[in-house]
Amino acid sequence: MLTLIRREIRDNIVYFIAAVVFSAILIALLIAATYNSDWISDPAVYVGFSIPILLILGLVFSAMGVTQMYMDRNRKISAFLSALPVTRNWILTARIFAGLLAILTVLVPLTIAVIVLGRLIAPPIPIFAGYIADILTTVFLMVFACYCLGLLTGWTANKIAPTFGALGLNIVLVSLVFVKGFGPDIQFLLVLVIVACLIRTWHKFMSTSL
Amino acid sequence: MQIRIDNASNRPVYRQIIDQIKRDIALGRLIKDEKLPTVRQLAAQLAINPNTIAKAYRQLEGEGIIVTRPGSGAFIANLDSNLSKAVRKRLLSDELERIAVEAFHMQIDAETLLELFNNAVEKLNVPSKKGQSNE
Amino acid sequence: MNDNVIKVENLVKYFDGRCVLDGINLTVPRGCIYGLLGRNGAGKTTIIRILLGIEPATRGRTLLLDTESTNLSPKIRGRIGCVAEGHNLIQNYKVERLIKLCKDLSLQWNDESFDHLIETFRLPKDRRIKDLSMGMRAQLNLSLAMAIDPELLILDDPTLGLDTVARRQFLELAIEVIQKQNRTILFCSHILSDVERIADRVGILAAGKLVVDCPLEQLKERVKKLRIIFPESPPARLYLTEIINRQIQGREMTITVANWNKQKQAILETFKPSSCTEIPMSLEDIFIECTRPSAEAVEVA
Repeated sequence: MLTLIRREIRDNIVYFIAAVVFSAILIALLIAATYNSDWISDPAVYVGFSIPILLILGLVFSAMGVTQMYMDRNRKISAFLSALPVTRNWILTARIFAGLLAILTVLVPLTIAVIVLGRLIAPPIPIFAGYIADILTTVFLMVFACYCLGLLTGWTANKIAPTFGALGLNIVLVSLVFVKGFGPDIQFLLVLVIVACLIRTWHKFMSTSL
Repeated sequence: MQIRIDNASNRPVYRQIIDQIKRDIALGRLIKDEKLPTVRQLAAQLAINPNTIAKAYRQLEGEGIIVTRPGSGAFIANLDSNLSKAVRKRLLSDELERIAVEAFHMQIDAETLLELFNNAVEKLNVPSKKGQSNE
Repeated sequence: MNDNVIKVENLVKYFDGRCVLDGINLTVPRGCIYGLLGRNGAGKTTIIRILLGIEPATRGRTLLLDTESTNLSPKIRGRIGCVAEGHNLIQNYKVERLIKLCKDLSLQWNDESFDHLIETFRLPKDRRIKDLSMGMRAQLNLSLAMAIDPELLILDDPTLGLDTVARRQFLELAIEVIQKQNRTILFCSHILSDVERIADRVGILAAGKLVVDCPLEQLKERVKKLRIIFPESPPARLYLTEIINRQIQGREMTITVANWNKQKQAILETFKPSSCTEIPMSLEDIFIECTRPSAEAVEVA
């Protein structure tokens, strides 16, 4: 299993590098925002930064999902691997695990930075902390949902379908987040999307010929 | 021992091996008590399934042409042995019947057939009963 | 214990409404070297893909090492070595990386024999797979399949793209595998001389059916081509069963018959032909006769 995960990571190293870079940029922005307190209170800045950030995050990880599945199909990687003592289950699990790892590479440092900064500039107010936790959870779920959408649309020989399919669905998802806010109801919706995508992807992957 | 497999032939491979070993013996290229390559060796040398070679060896042994000694390998039999002579005569007459049938199908008459047969006997120096003792 | 390493039961496969396999039944016992022949597109690769669980069957079932193909556990897969058609491997990996991947994922790996093979074939380790010639990819594929010391080897056109020397090397490799006890090999090939050298049993796939499935040595003895000349026109019905092919030209009839025996000979003689000649057939001739589009699907078994 470890070998499979390592293979996925190495094949998609671009996304991991992007994740690290992105993480660094976001932390830098966060620090800048913290020490320029008028930024946080200005809703225009808040929205102005968040929308593109969320959109980029969503699209990049969606692209990762698409890339992983499309490359597999195109280069017949699973076809080769299935001659070896692995199951399709393992291949898919390792793939999703690698995706999760990439997402966490962005979000975990960010979370740590948020917590650290939060401790530095203000006393830990439970409501405020709760609000931050909500945002981070929703962001994580949203990005993961975009990734799963990428996985779902990527398993095809066509080049056009995944590109526009994923793009369209991602935009829908991100706008939903903005419309509904960061609360538990949007989280529930995102979990549903994730579960539906994963089940369908799993089913497709298991049953098609390689 | 040089064996050549002819892919265009209608004879199965194991029969071709048998035929060529018999021919080598008849031509004096293989003499009594000479050691044959093992199944493994011959299989590797010719790149042929060892089962095919084993089958050829088994059949040759059944016809009394070779003997296998456990641990040592396969050797050309002492063809003087009277025990196998009756077997050999029977086998040869079966072969001759087969040739006679072929001749019928090929519309070769009896005189031509005998002529062809005598040519073969001469060419391969089959010793006569009177004269030198049979090998 | 029923030791059939490969079992195919009533396998049917449709592709886009087109029937490619129409009820295939096949068993390969342990230790057998089975050569599967057929023209391009006959379905040989399809059978192999279904056996390995890469392709789903439309109907029927297939078993490898007593396990259903759709359910092959990694442990069972670890005992099977495969060489897939086209030797695609993973194109943009370097040879070294691919070897390491296979080695890490395999359950058993014979370093010594693998290194020996790589050396014999002189495969460059630092080149990308897509930069290798087809012949080298085939050799790499073979070496990877042999390195796991497989109980069962499934080879789909293993000598495709190999030059004469490399083909001979492959044959010698195959013989080495056969010399080890109880190894089973299923292979498809177009090169009939190779099949004739190493197969125990032979199967010919034509028109979706397995028209021939018998020990190789018996095949030449069982399938006969006869040129029969009748005094007047040939009879409309010969009452001979298992005629694969029949051609009539004037007084002459050429038939290819399966499972020729004395009874058939006797029946033929009742028609009082003026002559009956046997036309010798090599494996190639038999193959061509059995795979003619007009050939009747007769089972030679």
